[in-house]
Amino acid sequence: MRLRGSSSEERESFQRMIEVAFIAAAFAFAAMATAYWYTQIVRGDYYFKLSENNRLRSVAVTAARGVIYDRHGVPLAENEPSYTLYLYRRETKNLAASIDTAVSLLGLPREDVERRVARYRTYFDFVPIALAENLTIGEVAAIEARGAEDPEFAVGVGQRRLYTKGTGAQAIGYLSEASPNQIAAQPDRYRPGVAIGQRGIESAYQDLLAGRDGERRIIVDSFGHETAEESREDPVPGRNLTLTIDERLQEVAERYFQNRVGSAVAMDPKTGQILAMISAPSYDPNLFSRRMTGTQWATLVDNPFRPLQNRAIQNVYSPGSAFKVFLAVEGLAGGYITPDTKVFCPGYATFYGRAFKCHKKEGHGWVNLREAIRGSCDVYFYTLGKRMGIEKIAEAARAFGFGKPTGLDLPNEKAGLVPSEEWSEKVRKAHWYPSETISVAIGQGPLLVTSLQLARGLAGLVNGGRFPRPHLFLSAQDAQTGGRFEYFDGTEERMKIDPAIVGQVEDAMWAVVNEPGGTAYLSRLPGLDLCGKTGSVQVVAQKDTKKEGSLPFEKRDHAWFIGFAPRRDPKIVIAVFVEHGQHGASAAAPLARDLAATYLGVPIPHPAEPGEPPAGAPAPTTIAAARAAASLPAPARNAAPITEARR
Amino acid sequence: MRGLFQRRRVDTTLLLAVLALLGIGLLLVASSTLGGRNAELTGRQAMWMGVGIALMLGMLAVDYRVLLKFSFPIYAASLAPLVYLLALGHRIAHVRSWVRFGGYQFQPAEVAKVATALLLAYLFENEQDRRLRPAALGKLFAMVLVPCLLVFLQPDLGLALTFVPLLLVGMYFGRMRRRYWALLAAALVVCCAVGWLFLKDYQKQRITTFVHPDVDVSGAGYQVRQSKIAVGSGGLVGKGYRRGTQSQLRFLPVRHTDFIFAVLAEEFGFLGVLVVLSLYATVVLRGLRLATHARDRGGAFLVLGLTACLFFSVMLNTGMMIGLFPTTGIPLPLLSYGGSSVATTLASIGLILSVEARRFANA
Repeated sequence: MRLRGSSSEERESFQRMIEVAFIAAAFAFAAMATAYWYTQIVRGDYYFKLSENNRLRSVAVTAARGVIYDRHGVPLAENEPSYTLYLYRRETKNLAASIDTAVSLLGLPREDVERRVARYRTYFDFVPIALAENLTIGEVAAIEARGAEDPEFAVGVGQRRLYTKGTGAQAIGYLSEASPNQIAAQPDRYRPGVAIGQRGIESAYQDLLAGRDGERRIIVDSFGHETAEESREDPVPGRNLTLTIDERLQEVAERYFQNRVGSAVAMDPKTGQILAMISAPSYDPNLFSRRMTGTQWATLVDNPFRPLQNRAIQNVYSPGSAFKVFLAVEGLAGGYITPDTKVFCPGYATFYGRAFKCHKKEGHGWVNLREAIRGSCDVYFYTLGKRMGIEKIAEAARAFGFGKPTGLDLPNEKAGLVPSEEWSEKVRKAHWYPSETISVAIGQGPLLVTSLQLARGLAGLVNGGRFPRPHLFLSAQDAQTGGRFEYFDGTEERMKIDPAIVGQVEDAMWAVVNEPGGTAYLSRLPGLDLCGKTGSVQVVAQKDTKKEGSLPFEKRDHAWFIGFAPRRDPKIVIAVFVEHGQHGASAAAPLARDLAATYLGVPIPHPAEPGEPPAGAPAPTTIAAARAAASLPAPARNAAPITEARR
Repeated sequence: MRGLFQRRRVDTTLLLAVLALLGIGLLLVASSTLGGRNAELTGRQAMWMGVGIALMLGMLAVDYRVLLKFSFPIYAASLAPLVYLLALGHRIAHVRSWVRFGGYQFQPAEVAKVATALLLAYLFENEQDRRLRPAALGKLFAMVLVPCLLVFLQPDLGLALTFVPLLLVGMYFGRMRRRYWALLAAALVVCCAVGWLFLKDYQKQRITTFVHPDVDVSGAGYQVRQSKIAVGSGGLVGKGYRRGTQSQLRFLPVRHTDFIFAVLAEEFGFLGVLVVLSLYATVVLRGLRLATHARDRGGAFLVLGLTACLFFSVMLNTGMMIGLFPTTGIPLPLLSYGGSSVATTLASIGLILSVEARRFANA
């Protein structure tokens, strides 16, 4: 080495310095290599997992929900494609301008859009924001047409529920987003934003209808854009469900209940299959799978007649005179009366120092059991009730299934109430007054039943003591394998009734409709052979019943009709309840007749007319009317939803 | 020039290591610009490599002693664009460090670095004292800190830092007195404390991120995190050329420039890392060895300065990939995409080879 002008000693020292630097540099490279060894070899698996997490996303593939059919294969609930507008913030140049575009394009409420965008503030900007669900085809077209100018908008396709008919909304139920509580209850099944069955069949058979969601594992880039699919697990579609419902009957009842409040249940007495279940007022279940506005929701919730409630199983009322047929069976079976026992009806009777009126002021005169049922003589049944006493009456009521849920395959069924001395002491904390027994004997007082309980009780009666469990499920089909399973229930209740007694009561019920003097004689139909019993429940004490027609809606009597047809080998039992319908004969029996005739294929020359909008305007009950009225204010709140019968 | 090769005066070890690195660099740029709007960058990089090799041969052909004589005008000329940038430059990604001409952009800081190395060598060629005189020390600081400050004000902290090794070379090999070292260390501590107040927000953020990498996963911490994932997931043999998921799916930021080493680590694994680190070690250690051959102090200091700059950049960049150092945005010499970096690095290599080629007095 030649370093001009420097001594050899200095040269050596310079060389040593370079050697130190050499060793330091070599050491630095070795240290760097060690650091990479640590990162890539020691921690390699950890980072490999992270890189896999980076590139792979799991996307749920929603399983197609099972279709719901009526017993003849008419679709009641189907699926249709639905479109959702997504905003990709990463593509947005100006977020405020994008919000403006969305607001003006779809006419959405600005606060709503801003709230949705704000909710995603803490998310990565490649996470799309759902701005609006259930776009119309026109809206989709409008958005697609602007694709070039507004690349931040994209339309996603999903599925939504379509209730083709919309009848029996409370029995079928609807789909809506799983609530936080529902997700918390089954976190491995439901995720936020998933639509699940709420109420009715949709809720009761949620697991069967929903199927199992599939999963796609996709490879994404750092913007979250899908670049390829790595694997997929196909969804298992939900099972199609066939209900026992007969849509023809549903439509007959739905039409009848227009502008009326109440419920109707029709059942096959032999099997317990529910043929019709209608509750009015009703609502459009499609509202829940679309963009429901605050007003629409308020209209549903604020309606004093509670359209969401299934009145056939969730509202309880006194059965009124419809109860007489069940009391008659026990009266005969217990020997309190014979078919020939006669009672004189002067239009009233006095028990325990108090006068009890018969609904027929001038009185029925001397009546036997058949005549008492045909003309609905109250004095006859006051007398029978007094002979039996409250405990025997309660026993009879329980034997026919009152006071407990029927076991229908829908959630939240009410039990009703069978009063007794024990009940009075325990619940009411008061003595049972003997005069109350007289009221209960004609189905008034604290005795409370649902429409379904009456239908089931009547089915047990016409079956001679066999009580099949009411149900809506007929069969389920696996859309992929074609496999099918049918309803089966081995737990049928039985009670012993003498066939002769059944025949006597059935004969009397035939007379109610088909003989002059029968309370439902006006609803007779040649060839139908309808048998039944009318009933009415007083809402408020009336001093003078003549004024009834001019009473305000909410003070009018409730109307019942229970019936079956044909007389020999009954195919259908029916319970119709019309709130504030005044007379069972005029308000409830005509629908029972039309339901039975429709089911049995008997022509109806003059079908019952839908209700007139009364002064107290109950909520609309048809789908068309519900849609039209969704924007109208709810009826006045002072109309009482449920009324107690006079004691 | 034929003579230079024939008489084995050109150091082939260094040259081959450099050429190997260039080849690997081109492969990695091609992989990391696959299928994007940067697809044409591979061709550009090849062109810049050609320019760089021409520069290298040019430097080899010219006697470095001539360059040393003109080192001050060269130095002054190289500072001019830096001043121009500060006054009038366009900002690209926050900073004014690029000069545009035609369709090309150029980073004058890279040129200034080579010019500063030349001036440093010239200083020590004429500074023969056993200990570094205060006057010489003053000159050393001035010549390094002026361009360093100009770059820092752009503001490009990373590039500014790459001038520091020149200072260290001067202080260490020029034999600065111990008490100055102590004084400097104390001054540095004070400067750091005061400097923190003057750092731009994004620069502060990078340093905070370095200390607490998990504080901000989506922002500044994102880059380090993603590059660590890329490196670590490469394992022993890597995911295969063009198969790095972190790189190809764009999780890795600026992967064809600053983060190209992470692409290598992901696609070729630890083995690939070892090969490339060995090549860099060959260049650096060979450079140090060649410094001992230099015929004069100027040549020795020129080689030491340039080698130190290279070493410093390699360490900072590779360490940055795995979070050993904060993200400062300096390219990896010879591998990263970037014309200025490749061309000036190759010019530096040319200068080192030139010193080696003229190690004999009669050359």
